[in-house]
Amino acid sequence: MFINWQLRELNLKIVYYGPALSGKTTNLEQIHTRVDPRRRGELVSLKTQEDRTLYFDFLQLELGKISGFLPKIHLYTVPGQSYYEASRKLVLRGADGVVFVADSTRSRIRDNLEAWNNMRDHLASLGIPPTTIPLVIQFNKQDVQGAIPAPALRQVLRVNGQPCFEAIAVNGQGVFETLKTIINSVVKNVQREVA
Amino acid sequence: MVNHNIDKRHYTLRSGITIFPSQDEEIDQILTELTQKVPAQFILLVDVTGQVITARGTQHKADLVALGSLVAGDIAASQEIARLTGEYQDYQMVLREGQTMHTIIMAAGVHLALLIQISNDVPLGWGRMLIRQAAYQLVDILNKPVPETEQTAPPSALAEFESEDIPDLFNDALDELWS
Repeated sequence: MFINWQLRELNLKIVYYGPALSGKTTNLEQIHTRVDPRRRGELVSLKTQEDRTLYFDFLQLELGKISGFLPKIHLYTVPGQSYYEASRKLVLRGADGVVFVADSTRSRIRDNLEAWNNMRDHLASLGIPPTTIPLVIQFNKQDVQGAIPAPALRQVLRVNGQPCFEAIAVNGQGVFETLKTIINSVVKNVQREVA
Repeated sequence: MVNHNIDKRHYTLRSGITIFPSQDEEIDQILTELTQKVPAQFILLVDVTGQVITARGTQHKADLVALGSLVAGDIAASQEIARLTGEYQDYQMVLREGQTMHTIIMAAGVHLALLIQISNDVPLGWGRMLIRQAAYQLVDILNKPVPETEQTAPPSALAEFESEDIPDLFNDALDELWS
């Protein structure tokens, strides 16, 4: 969180984390497409030639004045491929909230679990207890044949009370609900810190 | 000319450092001098998480916030490369030579990073020396003791955020955002 007093801006950083090809960039692309261009910045994507995230994607949203402040939401994705381990940790630095995008495809259970554990390790190494940071889980690709149902995925990841959403990000389903919920969780967390 | 400096109260950056008004003024002075001495076309100061602290000089069409996130990513990647190759040193510098303009990105201690654009008429050695000096000065400012009068806590920074209505207001704002 960063507050610019002169401009009365409240800046919040949310990171979309998850295994490769789970739909993290797709979430940001959908948000970029659906939000009024006057209320969002450019979608910055550092991609490989194969169109895979190399470092991160970045998108800023502006919510308009709330209680005298201008909240600005900075959305980042991490590169999902295991190869880019070092970059993922760098992107997580300074996160106020995390969205974990899981792939519901049956063959990706292990990848989800690895990414989940990897995220928790990185958060812990950055001094952020994984149990205290606002976290929302999105079970993406619920439209694929034989998709693992959300309750089963919750069990696999041992989700402990965090909000979960089923999604088909490629057509926008579940994208906004996820975004809205993580922002709400972050705002409530800010309120707790202030109180 | 753009200046996002904050002049009345202290503020805490996402990277964890707090900048007090007197420090803010000194930072402003250093960047003004740097702009004139080099001379620099454009300067962007961010913290290592990409938060824009101040920008000055000729504005490009570039989105400053997006630029800030890239500067932070660039310097973080450069530092990791240096660590992995065993050549890490503080004040990492990344140089991009352009046809008409050079871009230098430099870490200023562990908290800040500077992006500076200079015309390619300016000797690179001169530019690099002044930028390095400015980076050292920025770190000195952050390390200097702050007058006690400035250290008193400001009125509850986010008092307005304690209201129970805030989550609803955010929800309404988010609903408006989505078409």
